[in-house]
Amino acid sequence: MKNIFYIIFLFFSSLIFSQNQPYIYGSFESNSQLLQNDQSLDFISPEDNFRSNNYFQINYQINNILAGIQYEGYLPSSLLGFYPELDNQNKITNYFIKIQNEKSDITVGSFYEQFGNGLIFRSWEDRQLGINNAIKGIKLKYYPSDNIELTALYGQQRDGFNYTASTIQGLNTEINLNQMLNLKEVDLSIGSSIVNRYQENGANDSIPSNVSAYGGRLNMYAGDFSLNIEGVIKDPDVIANENNLVSNRLYDGTALQVDLGYSKKGIGINTTFRRLENFNFYSDRLAEGNIYNQKTLSFTPTLSKQQDYLLTNIYVYNSQPRLVMNSIEKRSGEVGFQNDFYYTFDKDNLLGKYKTKIAFNFSYWSGIESTFNQDNSYDVKFIGNGDRYYRDLNLEIKNRWNSKLRTAITFLDVIIDKGITLGGPLGVQGDIKAKVGVIEANYLHANGKSSRGVLQHLWTKNDRKNWLGLVYEYGISSSVNVFVSDGWNYGRSDKIHYYNLGGSYSKNSTRVSLNYGRQRGGLICIGGVCRYVPESNGFNLNLSYSF
Amino acid sequence: MRNFIFLSVFLLSFAGFSQKTLPNINLKTFEGDKVNVADLTSNDKIAILSLWATWCVPCIKELDAINELYDEWKTQVDFEVYAISVDDSRSINRAKALVNGKGWEHNILLDTNHNLKRSLGASAIPVTIIVRNNKILYQHTGYRNGDEYELFEKLKTLSKE
Repeated sequence: MKNIFYIIFLFFSSLIFSQNQPYIYGSFESNSQLLQNDQSLDFISPEDNFRSNNYFQINYQINNILAGIQYEGYLPSSLLGFYPELDNQNKITNYFIKIQNEKSDITVGSFYEQFGNGLIFRSWEDRQLGINNAIKGIKLKYYPSDNIELTALYGQQRDGFNYTASTIQGLNTEINLNQMLNLKEVDLSIGSSIVNRYQENGANDSIPSNVSAYGGRLNMYAGDFSLNIEGVIKDPDVIANENNLVSNRLYDGTALQVDLGYSKKGIGINTTFRRLENFNFYSDRLAEGNIYNQKTLSFTPTLSKQQDYLLTNIYVYNSQPRLVMNSIEKRSGEVGFQNDFYYTFDKDNLLGKYKTKIAFNFSYWSGIESTFNQDNSYDVKFIGNGDRYYRDLNLEIKNRWNSKLRTAITFLDVIIDKGITLGGPLGVQGDIKAKVGVIEANYLHANGKSSRGVLQHLWTKNDRKNWLGLVYEYGISSSVNVFVSDGWNYGRSDKIHYYNLGGSYSKNSTRVSLNYGRQRGGLICIGGVCRYVPESNGFNLNLSYSF
Repeated sequence: MRNFIFLSVFLLSFAGFSQKTLPNINLKTFEGDKVNVADLTSNDKIAILSLWATWCVPCIKELDAINELYDEWKTQVDFEVYAISVDDSRSINRAKALVNGKGWEHNILLDTNHNLKRSLGASAIPVTIIVRNNKILYQHTGYRNGDEYELFEKLKTLSKE
C-alpha cells in the first residue's frame, strides 16, 4: 500500500510543475455468472453459485509521465474454470509509473512486454483466459537512434495475487537496417534477446538456479514477399510434471519459427513452420504444464486457424511444446506448419457485381520423431515421422449479393488425436475425424434492422457423434442486439441441446450483455492459448465501460 | 478496499479536466516502422480507427464493408481509415496475407502486445472510433450488418463541426 501512496504523491507533485492539462482514462469490466444445477449435463452447481470477475483500471497522464493502477476482485469466487488462487480475493494488483522522453523511457511497477514474436518472452493480460503475467520491477527502453531499440527489464512475475519467488531479467535489441545499409528494395530488421530466470535450488545442487534462453530473429520484406525467422535455445533445465520434478536430469530446449509470405492486391499466401522441442519457459520450474497458463515466460500459441462458429469450435488443437517422460507416454515436442491462402475475385464474376472472397487454410501438427533411451536421454530428428496430433483443412467463401444480403459458406475437415481433445496420453488413443459445414446469411432490413442466421452441421462417427447447430441474431439498432442459438448433439443417445439466448447493448464505450444457457465443456481458445471450461448451466452478465 | 474507493474518488474528481484523448502509444507497421497513435490525426484530419484481428469475424465484416464503400465515401468526406490489428504472434503473420488477399485500402498498424487495446479499455473487438486532432469524437463496440451506414452518418456530421 505504501507504494501506491508514493505513486499518488508523484502524480500530484508532477502536477505542480506541469504546464499541460492532465488527463485521466481508464476502464471497468465485470464478468459474472449465476450457475444452476442441470441434471442432463450432470452439472451440480458449486456452493458459490454466483461468481464474478471484476477489473478496474485508471491511468493518469501529465506531460511525459503516465501512471496507473489496476484493481481486481473475484468475489465471492472467480468464474468456473479460472485459476483457483484468485477466488475470494480483491486487491490492487498492478500499479506503475512510466516516464518517457524522446530517447528513452522508464517504467517502475507492473509492466507488460514482448520480445520478438513472444517465443522467448511475453508478459500480457487476457481476461477471458485469466492470464495476467505482468512483471513487477523496472523496465528501461533506450533509443540511441531511430533504427535501434534497446530494452532491459528486471523483476518478479505475477502469479494470481502474489509474485513468484524467482527473479526475471531480460535484454532485447531491435535493429532496423534499412537506413544503415541504405536498402532500397528490401526492408530488413534483426533482433536478439536474452531472458534469465534466477530461482534458488534449495538443497538440490544438481539443478541449476540460473536458466537462460537466447533468441535471434530476422524480418525481411522484399516487394511482395516477406520472410520472418526466429530461433530460441534454452539452457539445460529439469522437467516437471504436476508440481514435481521428473528427475534431476537436465534437458535443453529449442524453438524455431519460419514464416514465408507472398501477397499483392487481391491475393495473399502465408506459410508458417514451427518446431518446438522441450520448449517451455516458466518463472517457476515446477509450473511446467499447469492447466491455468500461469507463470509463463515463453509464448507458444497454437498455430492453426482460429475457429469461431459453434460447431467448428469443438475439435480445436492446443500446442504441445513439452518434453514428457513418464511410464505412460514419452514425447519431445511438436513440429508442423499452417498455410493460408486468401483471394478476392474481380468485381464482375458469376456471383454478382460485388467482389467474392475466398479463404483457404491448411495445418498439420505432429510430435517430433524421437527415440527414448534407457538412461532417460533421447535422440531426436529435426522433423521425422512423429505421431500426428492434428490436421485440418478450411475453406470459406464470402459473397455479397446486393446492398442487403451477404452470405458465407465454410467447410472444415479435421482430424485430431483423442488425447488432445479428451485428455490422456497422445498418439495411442486413436483419432477423431470430423467434417463441419456452415452456411451464414446476413440481411439488412429496409427499416435499418438486421438479421443474421447460421446453419451448421458436424459429421463424425467418433466421440460424441453428429451435431446440428443454429444461430439467429436480430439487430434492433446499432446498439441493441438479441440472439438465440442451439448446438444439438443429436448423434448421442441422450440427444443433448446446448441452448443459449441473450442480448447486448452497446453505446459509445459502454457495453452490457446478458445471456442464459448451457455451456459446452471443453477447450476455450483465445489467440491460440486454451483454457479448459467445465460444462455448466446458468446466466452470464458482462459489463464494460471505458472513460 | 476503503483505500481503493478513496483513491478512485480522488482520481475521478480530476476526470472533469480531461477530454477523451488517444494515449501516446507507439504502434508498428508491417515493415517495422514506428508510428505514434497521437500523430495520426494532427492538422484537423478526421479518421476512423478500428481495432481488429484476423480471427475476429465481425471485425473483418466491418472492414470489408468500409472498404467496399470507401471510394464512394471519400467523395463526400476527406478521411483516412486505420485498421489496427491486435493479432498476437499466433496470427500476425497471416494478417498481411489477409489484408492483401481481401484487397483492403486501409492503413494497417499493429498493436501486437495490446498496448492500445488495453489503454482504450477494449474488452471486446471490433472497437471503432472516429478521431480528430487526437480527440475521440465517437466510439462503438461490435458490428452488425449495416452499422457502416450509421458510422458514415456520424463521420459526415462530425467532419462538419
